[in-house]
Amino acid sequence: MENTNFIMRFLEWLMSFDRKAIILAASAIGAGLAMIAGIGPGVGQGYAAGKGAEAVSYNPKSGRQATTVMLLGAAVAETSGILSLVISLILLYANPLVNVTGAAIVVAASAIGAGLSMIAGIGPGIGQGYAAGKGTEMVGKRPRLQSSIIRTMFLGQAVAQTTGIYAMIIALVLMFANPLIGLL
Amino acid sequence: MEGFGPRIAFELPIFGGIPISDTVVNTWIIMAILIAFAVLASKKLEKIPKGFQNVTEAIVESLNSLTVQTMGEDKLFFAPYMGTLFLFLLLANLWGLLGLRQPTADINTTFGLAIMTFIAIHFFGAKSKGIGGYLKGFFEPLPFLFPLNVMGELSTPISLAFRLFGNMVGGFIIIGLLYGGLTSLSNMIGLSFFPIFQAGVPIIFHLYFDLFSGVLQSFIFVMLSMVFISMQMD
Repeated sequence: MENTNFIMRFLEWLMSFDRKAIILAASAIGAGLAMIAGIGPGVGQGYAAGKGAEAVSYNPKSGRQATTVMLLGAAVAETSGILSLVISLILLYANPLVNVTGAAIVVAASAIGAGLSMIAGIGPGIGQGYAAGKGTEMVGKRPRLQSSIIRTMFLGQAVAQTTGIYAMIIALVLMFANPLIGLL
Repeated sequence: MEGFGPRIAFELPIFGGIPISDTVVNTWIIMAILIAFAVLASKKLEKIPKGFQNVTEAIVESLNSLTVQTMGEDKLFFAPYMGTLFLFLLLANLWGLLGLRQPTADINTTFGLAIMTFIAIHFFGAKSKGIGGYLKGFFEPLPFLFPLNVMGELSTPISLAFRLFGNMVGGFIIIGLLYGGLTSLSNMIGLSFFPIFQAGVPIIFHLYFDLFSGVLQSFIFVMLSMVFISMQMD
């Protein structure tokens, strides 16, 4: 009788490939998944840009300062996108999982998992962009307080980055020091 | 970590060979620069500063005022430590501009510095509040939140260390890949003897990843250390 359990059939089909091919395919998926985190910085920086336009229109005199704060804040909001790019590039160009010994499916799933974990970068990206937008808005209103606004904004953005950093730790652990392979 | 991890520079020929990574060597160079700067800057101090002394006084004053602004008037005695930390991190993060590996792109460096902050947080917290008041802080606002408070305290050095490490190693990897790509691009159009792409293109990347990110991350590390310590003390 034909096996009608499609999950089993899929897994059997998957196992019909070469071990290295499976790991490389999973790395490709992981590299793509990691870049989904780009949603975060996109939304956040868009918000900051909008707030910058608003600040300049309200108070053109402080436009230059508001633009500076917007650019600084947006550059920090870019961090999670860059961290995802790093994980993606490691998966593409310096993949440490290719030479790992152990069950192919676990190694392949680790590559996908490393990419998946970087999606957490959406959160810090949006949050930092929001902080950048608020900073820009307030510098537009009160340009004299620029330095203390920037300082508070940077500190808050650094704390908002924390979960994205944890995601990167997990991605790096999955790739370079995977404890799951030793459990087999 | 193989691939992007620190390379072993040489081995100390004692105790059967202690491997010395390039992180350690670069840290030694930075330490030598800072010590030489400190010795030269404080050699002959005059009542009316001029030249080099002016620069030194400006640095010291701005670091002092940053500490007072962030931690409060009564915690000025943190200024020497925080100032040293800031200068060290600044040099270490800008080390990539010389084409060398930043010491802060090594988890051991950043974790060491974060552990120093962690010890300072709890030592000075216990010292200023007394052991009883310090321990009571873990059972606030409600006693059963004790495990959550402990987890929160333990995550402070981890996030502090990995924030700096992640940013620096990310920049290091991207710059490394960029140079590799540009080299193959030059070779492709037959210009391997004259690396035209490597000369100009990376400047903008160095600007963001080394200059902006490096200065910002050293500032953030020092500021967060100051905020955490003064929060625990008040």
